[in-house]
Amino acid sequence: MTKVTSVMLTWQNTAWEYQAHPPQIAILPLACLEPHAAHLPIGTDRIIIGEIARRVAEQIGAPTMLLPTWSLGTSGHHAGKTGAIYLRFETLWAVVRDVVTSLHEHGIHQVAVINNHGSAMTGTTRPIGNFIVKTAVRQLNYETPGLTAIWVQPFAAARAELANLFPSARSELHAGAVETSLLMRLARDLVGALPPDHVPDVAPNYLDFAPFKKIAPRGIWGKPSEASADQGARALEIIVQATTDYITTTFKQLKEIKQRG
Amino acid sequence: MLDDRSTSAAIASAKPTIAVLGIGAIEQHSHHLPIGTDWIAVSEVSQRVAAELNALWIPAIPFSMSECHGPMAGTVWLKPATLAAVLRDVAQSLREQDIRKLLVLNGHGGNFVIEPTIQAINQEFPDFRIVMPSEVWATIVGEPPIFETAGTEVHAGESETSTELYLNPDNVKSERVDYVPPVGREFLDYAFMDQVSPDGMWGTSSKGSAAKGERAIAAQVHAIVAFAKQAFEVLR
Repeated sequence: MTKVTSVMLTWQNTAWEYQAHPPQIAILPLACLEPHAAHLPIGTDRIIIGEIARRVAEQIGAPTMLLPTWSLGTSGHHAGKTGAIYLRFETLWAVVRDVVTSLHEHGIHQVAVINNHGSAMTGTTRPIGNFIVKTAVRQLNYETPGLTAIWVQPFAAARAELANLFPSARSELHAGAVETSLLMRLARDLVGALPPDHVPDVAPNYLDFAPFKKIAPRGIWGKPSEASADQGARALEIIVQATTDYITTTFKQLKEIKQRG
Repeated sequence: MLDDRSTSAAIASAKPTIAVLGIGAIEQHSHHLPIGTDWIAVSEVSQRVAAELNALWIPAIPFSMSECHGPMAGTVWLKPATLAAVLRDVAQSLREQDIRKLLVLNGHGGNFVIEPTIQAINQEFPDFRIVMPSEVWATIVGEPPIFETAGTEVHAGESETSTELYLNPDNVKSERVDYVPPVGREFLDYAFMDQVSPDGMWGTSSKGSAAKGERAIAAQVHAIVAFAKQAFEVLR
């Protein structure tokens, strides 16, 4: 019997291949559809997250199931603007709950939710964007014995290195240097003329209190002037590495914690 | 093409009045078809339909009511209430940005919550119309029917095999199982697929071909576009 160490299975594999190579880990990538100023497409997050998730799944070193990227997030702060197609928080919660629970029922007991890309503004304790996923994962762990679910935002996992690459990484929330550079690397033909930099003067939690266009009237929260395709290529590598490391380390630590208990 | 590769401004200036949303699934598809078969097919068909209607294409939803396949490997699902909530939220998002017509294309036969949800959305939002062609579009197309076994296939049979051979041949395996369970299809309301058909087959996959798939996709797109134009006109 062939020993399988690192096998990535996706939506292109058959059920019988899944049976022959049962995944130990599943990766559920979440993105969002929302306006991204003048220069980036509404599917920017889907492009970025899809690529990060695929590379992470390939590198993880355990048999892994890569799920398709779920495109609809909780972008209600962009409500009413063209291209903002979003879910209420309860709905995204239910999506995560249902998918992860069905994975568990099919014998996959370690699930990593890549919860959009987040921001180098924060660490790995509080997500920025799709905030309900933190609660969804918590409840899954409480309510589903035998399951270990985690969440990670790649920009937050790689925040120290991103801050070295881009002076503005720690003040970027939307359509700034990091997102723009990644799109320049991944989909150059979709990046338009760069708008002026703009970093609003308030904390990001103001987006809980008022629409994005009131808090950041230019539709941007960052400095796209710092972006380049080369920077995007470097950023992609460090982001994938940091995200892979976070996932593997966290699952390992949790295994030890749960064995002790 | 107005889709998620477009900027907000580009979509806004085109002023689309219709959006198209496909519903896919990730589920066992017997020995030869990938688990993403439904999602792959509905993504392609919905894109072609959106292009002909000058509509906004929303990326097809990858998960839906696949619990009918029970414990079979490679299957994930949304509960019916979750799928209903997703549709409602998408409709609301579109209303808010002044797109008032949504065409839903159902890529997975088990999504029976969609019809009640569509009716409820149309009732709740009188200024918004959401429509869906009946499920026969997937398998019974052409005059005479393109598929010899039209009407006997429920899953992974002649039509799905043909479509996938046309769209995604590199990921179709050579094995073919043919099996039509001796029960009505409503038995999937009462038991799981693996109980009714251990190979996860309900149809005649050996009759599938890429040529049939190509003809069928073209016929489906044509029929759906005609349906959408007529429905939105009648409901104006």
